Amino acid sequence: MLLTACGEADRTDKKFSGETLKLFNWGEYMGEDLISNFEEQTGARVIVELFDSNEMLYTKLQAGDSYDVLVPSDYMIERLMSDGMLQPLNKSLIPNIDNLASLLRNLDYDPSNDFSVPYFWGNVGIVYNTQNVDKAELESKGFEILRDTRYAGKVYIYDSERDAFMIAFKALGYSMNTENEDEIQQAYEWLRTLNDTMDPAYVTDEVIDAMMGGAKDLAVVYSGDATVILDENPDMDYFVPAEGTNIWSDAMVIPANAENVPLAHEFINYVLTYDASYDNSLTVGYASSNKDVLEDMSGEGGLYENNAAYLPRTGYAMDEIFHDNTALRTRLSDLWLKVKAEK
Amino acid sequence: MRPFRKMAYPYVVWVALMIVAPMLLTTIYAFTTRGNDVKTINFTFANFARFFSDPIFLDVLRRSLWVALITTALCVLLGYPAAYIIARANPRRKILLVLLVTAPTWINMLVRTYAWMGILQDNGLINTFLALFGLQPLKLLHTDFAVILGMVYNFIPFMILQIYTSLTKMDPSYLEAANDLGADKVMAFLKVTLPLSVPGIISGITLVFLPAVSSFFIPKLLGGGQYVLIGNVIENQFLTSGNWNFGSALSLIMMVIIMLSMYITRKLDRDESREDGGRRL
Repeated sequence: MLLTACGEADRTDKKFSGETLKLFNWGEYMGEDLISNFEEQTGARVIVELFDSNEMLYTKLQAGDSYDVLVPSDYMIERLMSDGMLQPLNKSLIPNIDNLASLLRNLDYDPSNDFSVPYFWGNVGIVYNTQNVDKAELESKGFEILRDTRYAGKVYIYDSERDAFMIAFKALGYSMNTENEDEIQQAYEWLRTLNDTMDPAYVTDEVIDAMMGGAKDLAVVYSGDATVILDENPDMDYFVPAEGTNIWSDAMVIPANAENVPLAHEFINYVLTYDASYDNSLTVGYASSNKDVLEDMSGEGGLYENNAAYLPRTGYAMDEIFHDNTALRTRLSDLWLKVKAEK
Repeated sequence: MRPFRKMAYPYVVWVALMIVAPMLLTTIYAFTTRGNDVKTINFTFANFARFFSDPIFLDVLRRSLWVALITTALCVLLGYPAAYIIARANPRRKILLVLLVTAPTWINMLVRTYAWMGILQDNGLINTFLALFGLQPLKLLHTDFAVILGMVYNFIPFMILQIYTSLTKMDPSYLEAANDLGADKVMAFLKVTLPLSVPGIISGITLVFLPAVSSFFIPKLLGGGQYVLIGNVIENQFLTSGNWNFGSALSLIMMVIIMLSMYITRKLDRDESREDGGRRL
């Protein structure tokens, strides 16, 4: 910090020289220079491991793996908190927390950010090919369009029980956190009909490439992935049904068994800077938690000014957040397997 | 031989740590109930009862065995002629052909499966090609065809190499003898070459059937997620449902089935050679 012009000579003077940060993040979820810039600034080395579902993250933590920073989703943070697997943040080490967009400060799983600092946020919607699907039709049918046999064989459904059942619950007008057995059964039947009549493909990250290439007409996609698809293929647009959807956020947390807590705080603080957040959002397409980045990207002249997917809908009463519910999740997981496996 | 015995110790330790310990853990999980508290281990058959009482799991198991069976059969049918041709080729070409068979296995299986997705996609390579001739696009990806294709493509090198090895080990003087005794080429193949290559076919079958029956990402990617096989269910139990006990029970059932099928193939192999021996007398 004193003599930045010295190049190699000041390497050992950096605050975290020789130290190691273990980061556990989603695949395809970081700016191109995020890690190298952080290493450059702090002198620390970052070991990145990737996960592709919150459940996988939980399984790894349960198996005793130790990380310094994790980026799980809302409901998983709720679960980790109630299991006592997170440690409270020392906010004096994260001054950049002031950069958070105000709507990400009072999330109900951690209202005062005692344990978590949002990283990205978004919702779930439908990417559709404007050449083959009329927006008016989407508006009138909502999620039900995914069961319109005119589009049979042209539909991608996200292969996760939470997202699949979320669509069914919303289409039927129920809450996606319902525990009502009758409603669950109806949602199961809703998905079975979809499975039996629509010849859908159940995909995860493959959907991004496939929709960029225009492989199908309709796809259930996370908003950030949709941003990238829309950016690549001008025929594609993004639609969020009036029935409501899942609005979610992924946040940085420090697990209780972290080995380098000061460096973990440094990293969280660093991600909240304008440059790092901008790099993240630019590369990955998800909505930033940094208020200035969010405004600049979606505002006038911004990179994603005309991208319908970048800035998620807010303040809409029908949109819901997932809550941690192990029994319900296991139940839906079993039913989802049934939907896919029954022939 | 004595001094060499010590050299086996690292192997014994390795086997104990990497094979025996995980199998024991799987067995313990399979016979206990869920619970994060390590102290409360409850013995139960509930995981197995669940498997046998819900028809869906038996359906999935049957489908997995069926897919693996077709894959293995196709690998034998396609792999045998290939191995035969390679074994009969001149030495220079032989090296090239073996290289061509093995080269794809140097690339990660997942990457190769993704490549097939690009080829079979609704607007992929094949359909783009068909469109050039004004032909209607075919639905190739996310079909039974795609899954079987992906499986056969990924596993056939193991079959070819096994049969090829057993064919090259064969003493050519047997064929000359058959010739001298008046057997034509077909007869000589059926009576000499084929029986002698049976051990190669058997080990090829083992090497193809085992990964085929438990494969989960090929059916997932090429079958479009609709193609649920037992491997997918096990993956789902561990990673999504978080039900390690049921997942372990499924794994254990698979292990038993695989051991049984290995036992049967070995037995068939032995009976076959004994029968042949008898006939030759």
